[in-house]
Amino acid sequence: MFDVIFIGLSLSSILLLVALGLAITYGAMGVINMAHGEMVMIGAYVAVLSSIWLGANFLLAIPIAFVVTALFGLVIERLVVRRLYGRLLDTLLATWGISILIQQAVRLEFGLTFFGIHIDGLGPGLQNVTVPSYLQGTVSVAGLEFNGYRAFIIGVTLALTALTWFILYRTSAGVQVRAIIRNPKMAAACGIDVKRVNALTFAFGSGLAGVAGVMMSGFKTVFPDMGATMVVDGFMVVVTGGVGSIFGTILSSGLLGEINALVAIGTNDIIARAVVFAVVIGVILFKPNGLFSYKGR
Amino acid sequence: MLSIKNLNSYYGRSHVLQGISLEVPAGKITSILGRNGTGKTTFLKTLMALTDRSTGAVVLDGQDISSAQTHQRARAGIAYVPQGREIIPDFTVRENILMGSFARADRKHVVPELVGELFPYLVENFDRQGGLLSGGQQQQLAIARALATGPKLLLLDEPNEGIQPSIVEEIERAIVRLNRELGMTVILVEQNIAFAREASDHFAMMEKGRIVAQGPIPALTDDLVHRHMTV
Repeated sequence: MFDVIFIGLSLSSILLLVALGLAITYGAMGVINMAHGEMVMIGAYVAVLSSIWLGANFLLAIPIAFVVTALFGLVIERLVVRRLYGRLLDTLLATWGISILIQQAVRLEFGLTFFGIHIDGLGPGLQNVTVPSYLQGTVSVAGLEFNGYRAFIIGVTLALTALTWFILYRTSAGVQVRAIIRNPKMAAACGIDVKRVNALTFAFGSGLAGVAGVMMSGFKTVFPDMGATMVVDGFMVVVTGGVGSIFGTILSSGLLGEINALVAIGTNDIIARAVVFAVVIGVILFKPNGLFSYKGR
Repeated sequence: MLSIKNLNSYYGRSHVLQGISLEVPAGKITSILGRNGTGKTTFLKTLMALTDRSTGAVVLDGQDISSAQTHQRARAGIAYVPQGREIIPDFTVRENILMGSFARADRKHVVPELVGELFPYLVENFDRQGGLLSGGQQQQLAIARALATGPKLLLLDEPNEGIQPSIVEEIERAIVRLNRELGMTVILVEQNIAFAREASDHFAMMEKGRIVAQGPIPALTDDLVHRHMTV
């Protein structure tokens, strides 16, 4: 039982890293970013490529992936999303297009396949990342066996969630982000440069998704379409938790991850996913604003 | 102080403000009067660049801010206290006030001493959530937030609407004091003619998105009030 809950926690951790970025961009900017899943995918490919080409340590891939995906996020915000604020459905379509572009770019190795050039680690095939030996195996604490890698995922997520919380609630940048989430017009009237803060927030959220990608690459195969399901999972977490509530996002990723793990152990992954969907539908039916929605005026 | 020429403002396709021209003198209170729906609130929003689109010239202290964005106007020295206050309910009183300090030139995050003098209740309740305050206290909070921006010009949109009488008096005194003692320029949207007459130096009467009469406050005759404000 305990190890099931532990596996659930590690699933929740990945969900949380993906959903935190979505919670902020959706909550603060009213942007549905369908390309968020591709940030997970890019993060995973950064892990693949950096181990092949840089011989880099798995741990080193985490900061590299954060920086690379944050830059991707910044470029997407600057080029496309910025022009679509206040147009929810247009952001959905446009970012969906971007996600397809990114998937194909990876599949076609940025077009180099047409010239007969192949880059190891890219292309339509499946990729694998080997987790360093010190993260494999089990650790036993107080008579309980922990899978080392899953413990590592939970640890990284805890650290990044704490960092995000710190930025949001203890820094001047965080006050600006929270003010924009609650009332963007009044935030601007108080001298906050909403566009600039939004761009940086978007980049930060993308960076978190990139780290989630590195984590996933350690226990799942990496392929160009892997982001598509992640963005759906991410939005389910955000909607269940309540849009605009960071606390709700944390709890609902825990809830959905655990439900997934508990049902999957008893039956199988497919049924577990169906149950998760049913729970989300139930929540939306009875609490349309999510479990921990922000109570406005 | 603030010079407005041929200001037009739009929400989507609807043309709300139609060719407003107004000189707001420094150190004075100018009241914007008129019935509901004549564009008074839109006028203040347009000054903050919060409508969809606007044309015309707005010059603040010789600085042309016609094409400046909202946050740039706030940093140029215009502070806005909106109708309905729009404080952030789950921010503490202190956080709400400090929100204004992002417009300060020196970017220092401090609560001005003035706030403590004008509204002691706020300082005594720094750590309460803004949403727990009464309507009148929230109005004081919104004014305190505006003062934290270190403004040259204060825009007040019906600061006494829907507020308990005890606090109305306190807020009226604060507005007059800000102007008389500290020389702050104020544009006040007001329905209460008695207070507008008592506090302000100039007025502008609005009707259907235009200014139909303006001048020094003695020129605000009962006849004008009757013609443009009686429902």
